[in-house]
Amino acid sequence: MIFVKRIYEWIEVRLGVKELVEKNLTGYLLPRNINFWYSMGSIILFIFAVQVVTGMLLLVYYVPDADKAYSSVTAIMNRVPFGWLIRTCHAIGSSMMVLFLLLHMLSVMFMGSYKRPRELNWLSGFILFSLVQVICLTGYLLPWSQLSFWATTVATNSIGAIPLVGQFIVEFLRGGKLVGPPTLGRFFTLHVAVIPVLIASVVGVHLFLLERIGVSKPPFGLDNTKNRWQGDAFRYDEHTGGIPFFPNYILQDMTSIAIYFSLFAAVVFFCPGIFFPDDAFIQANPFQTPAHIKPEWYFLANYQTLKLFPNEFIGLSIQGAAMTFLALLPFIDWGNEKHPLKRPLFMVCAIGGILLYIGLSIWGHYS
Amino acid sequence: MDQSTRRKFLATCLGAIAAAGGGATLYPVYKYLAPGKGDEGLAKATFPESEVPAGGAKFFSFRGEAGVVIRNKSGKLVAFSAVCTHLGCIVQWEKEKQDFLCPCHAGRYSMDGVVIAGPPPRPLPKLAVNVANGIITIG
Repeated sequence: MIFVKRIYEWIEVRLGVKELVEKNLTGYLLPRNINFWYSMGSIILFIFAVQVVTGMLLLVYYVPDADKAYSSVTAIMNRVPFGWLIRTCHAIGSSMMVLFLLLHMLSVMFMGSYKRPRELNWLSGFILFSLVQVICLTGYLLPWSQLSFWATTVATNSIGAIPLVGQFIVEFLRGGKLVGPPTLGRFFTLHVAVIPVLIASVVGVHLFLLERIGVSKPPFGLDNTKNRWQGDAFRYDEHTGGIPFFPNYILQDMTSIAIYFSLFAAVVFFCPGIFFPDDAFIQANPFQTPAHIKPEWYFLANYQTLKLFPNEFIGLSIQGAAMTFLALLPFIDWGNEKHPLKRPLFMVCAIGGILLYIGLSIWGHYS
Repeated sequence: MDQSTRRKFLATCLGAIAAAGGGATLYPVYKYLAPGKGDEGLAKATFPESEVPAGGAKFFSFRGEAGVVIRNKSGKLVAFSAVCTHLGCIVQWEKEKQDFLCPCHAGRYSMDGVVIAGPPPRPLPKLAVNVANGIITIG
């Protein structure tokens, strides 16, 4: 311990870390009525770190060539020691990432934390959500199974409904008219290089905005739940007399991550097959489309929406409109009230939207 | 038990759990990355006798390394590891001189694998050769 103290002192006289620790850790005060929902972001960061590490490990044995991709994944699952564990963690982690992103987004919505002056934070979060969906889509193709190949074919086909440029965009994405080896090359590059860098950058922006503006105050347990932002000048959202981030809220973060990890481990070790239908274990055959190809659960609502409308362009437009509405929520919802039970219109729309999403997903699964 | 002792005890328990968790995470990652011996340790190399040209040499893969087989002066097949004992380069067979030359630092070995020139410290390791029904088996 004396040794650790001496190292700390050596760094302190050179970098002044004590001041940084006071500003960002022990002196960084959070609202007294903060709750566990505020640790969703930390869980997502943890999931992202696990995905990066397991992804890098998979890169050691995975071959991004259409003739060898499937057999390399089979080798990872069956011959490489603990390869099954690394691959399963990566596959299940991707679904967990989307699930916890949705929970994080919903908690921000219900607590009104997207309202002024935090519009940019909401927008950066929306961009992150979109990037995560794209990274999931691109990663899905890499095992080059029947499920990978045909789910990608269906997903990329839908873009063709955009008038004038749709078909050009589809062929540009695929690297050809149909999904094939060029598609694998492009999707691999996007999945392992381009999108992770983008996600890391936007996470940096997201955290900078959080730190610059200050943590929002939950509307629960307060007499006045209205947004008190004046809009005349920048003011850091202080929480005088609040809870220090370190060690108090870091402990909450660690607890939430531990609970998440036990849920994650339970799925990885006891029911990993829920995300692996039979078609995931058959090598891609470009001449044989399997029956009942479905996208992953987080795209089922989109899939069902496209099926409902005979005109693909209308189906795509409706989804685009819904996503645009979500992205612009802070600019549409001008109200000052933050407590969900005092916002009846918001509650009706939000709960209606959630039920619609769940309903469409279930319908998409069974249709 | 006073507060500080109880706190120390709980911190120690947490530290032990974290260490166990860390070990449980690092062990599978180490095993995943470590090069596997697999069946290589016991594998034999086989090929037809006709693949060894007269006066020439045949190179082959043997248990993860390179090997070479030639006919010695009495016409008997002999096999060696083709890995130079100096710094690990693969030796070449010189048909005109009927010896092995390492291209990296000009180490030279006779057709019996003995060092005749250059920096190699030891002869080329011999490999067991068996010929039956026109098939050569190494190992």
